[in-house]
Amino acid sequence: MKYLPLVLRNLGRNPLRSLLTGAAIMLAIALVCILRTMPAGLDAILKSAAANTRISTHNEAGIVYSMPYSYLAKVRGVPGVVAAISWNWFGGTTDLSKGVQFPNFAVDPDGFGEVYADWKLDPQVFEDFRKYRDAAIVGHATLEKMGWKVGDVVTLESTVFPVTLSFRIVGASPAQNGSFYFQREYLAQALAAAGIQFDTTGMIWSRVDDPEKLGSAMRQIDEMFHNSEAVTSTETESSFVGNFFGGLKQLVTIIQIVAALVTLCIVFIAANTASMSIRERVGEIAILKAIGFRKQTIFTTLLAEAGILALFAGIAGSGTAYVLTKLLQQYASNAGPQMGPLTAFIVSGTILVQAIFIAFFIGILAGWVPALGASRRSVAQTLREVF
Amino acid sequence: MIDIVNVSRLYKRGADEIHALERVNLHVARGRFVALMGPSGSGKSTLLNVLAGLDRPNSGDVTVAGKHLNDLTEDELAEFRAHTVGFVFQFFNLIPVLSAVENVELPLLLTKLSRAERRTRGLTALRVVGLGERADHLPRQLSGGEQQRVAIARAIVTDAELIVADEPTGDLDAKNAEEILSLLQTLKRDFGKTIVIVTHDPRAEKWVDEVIHLDKGLLLETRPGGAARGAAGG
Repeated sequence: MKYLPLVLRNLGRNPLRSLLTGAAIMLAIALVCILRTMPAGLDAILKSAAANTRISTHNEAGIVYSMPYSYLAKVRGVPGVVAAISWNWFGGTTDLSKGVQFPNFAVDPDGFGEVYADWKLDPQVFEDFRKYRDAAIVGHATLEKMGWKVGDVVTLESTVFPVTLSFRIVGASPAQNGSFYFQREYLAQALAAAGIQFDTTGMIWSRVDDPEKLGSAMRQIDEMFHNSEAVTSTETESSFVGNFFGGLKQLVTIIQIVAALVTLCIVFIAANTASMSIRERVGEIAILKAIGFRKQTIFTTLLAEAGILALFAGIAGSGTAYVLTKLLQQYASNAGPQMGPLTAFIVSGTILVQAIFIAFFIGILAGWVPALGASRRSVAQTLREVF
Repeated sequence: MIDIVNVSRLYKRGADEIHALERVNLHVARGRFVALMGPSGSGKSTLLNVLAGLDRPNSGDVTVAGKHLNDLTEDELAEFRAHTVGFVFQFFNLIPVLSAVENVELPLLLTKLSRAERRTRGLTALRVVGLGERADHLPRQLSGGEQQRVAIARAIVTDAELIVADEPTGDLDAKNAEEILSLLQTLKRDFGKTIVIVTHDPRAEKWVDEVIHLDKGLLLETRPGGAARGAAGG
């Protein structure tokens, strides 16, 4: 500790250089933090999805293609399936000029509570959802974003169907992306009034009573519709979510490789700065060694300079990343469902601590070789060359 | 204090071999002020480095303050320098980001003294060289002569028995050079320090007890300086 003032004074010797080097490390660390939140966020979503026995059935051609609504009754009859509901994208908005602000679906109230038992909502919420034709269960994120609360009556105009419906919010859910769910029957009646027949579904979500029966239930469902007008593809929720984010994961891998290369570049830049700083002080270092400083002491103090600079830059970079992801999260939740999982991504404490360690490691790595060279250099040789 | 016996030092510069010192013998008694003089490349700085424990001879024996330097490891040599030798150089003497007193305190960082004790000793050393009032000034705020006096304060702060100085007046004007030589003589006279300087400066001769002439690595001549003859009034 007694050498700390010397180390700090040397760091302040060329403030602009220290500032620029620190800024380079800070930005690299902020970038690494932000990029590391993406796989962490995806993993969290996948882990949550993998922890339940929900399965998804959709048209094999893709989730944008529908299936006959009659499939729902057949799925409910498959052994092991304890509950199943249909899902239809409503595409509702409070303001057409803003587009769809949050995901909203027409679903079957019967079985909704069983399929989403893991939400652990008050049974009264599911009861109200069943009881009131215009009931809606809305995700916390959407409630917060729209300034709504349970008990409010809200109106959505569909961008898919030629109807505008009013809903009473009966409960809040932890649904991903703040999804808004309402009764399919409510939509069906409105469409019937408009002369439109509503007999399709976009997806069917089911819950299987035993994880060991998942495989056989999925196989049976797809075999049941194998030769029908809409061939189905059934998968577990984690597989569905994983496939949904599959492209994003590959992008994340590419971005992470780029981030690693950026970090490596920063190591070289920091090492070059450390080399320059030490080269400029070779005479002073020789004096320190002449007056009795051991090479270990010289090495440690020089390394400490690089380490401390990188450490503070790492803390600043982590803080920057935290603020940026908070802002990104806020922006994404305001922008709408098209921002996908970005709303779930925020720099965690673990990532912050890891990033600070990475920054410190960058500093140590960058300072190691020049510090070792300076500490090993012969005093007499330096004095001959410099003086 | 210093016994150098048959010391040779050979450098390799590319394919060439440079005989910086050849079978040099030197004895300096405790409390003497000695100047090593000679043209550039004569080996005087190499001899200073060898006797101060900064460089090792290829052959011969070096004994300083009772320590046989040939036997010491790098770390032991560093410890020897920290406790026994005070250094003054021509350039780059001071750390520019540290104040005068912090520069003086540097060698004390290697001791177990507390921060307060280090500061007290640093200020005392600065007062000895007449810079007690400029303790908080940075080197760039001091004149060349003052900077060299701070370096001398740093050299004496550990109460080193031997002070070595390589061209201590080389970068100074005549007035400041005289003051530095006078200060070194005071340290010898009042504090009993043994002082060895390397210099081209002919003015140094009148302040020292002995002048040792070297050329091409050979010790050519040892003769009394002005101080020994009473010329400097010391």
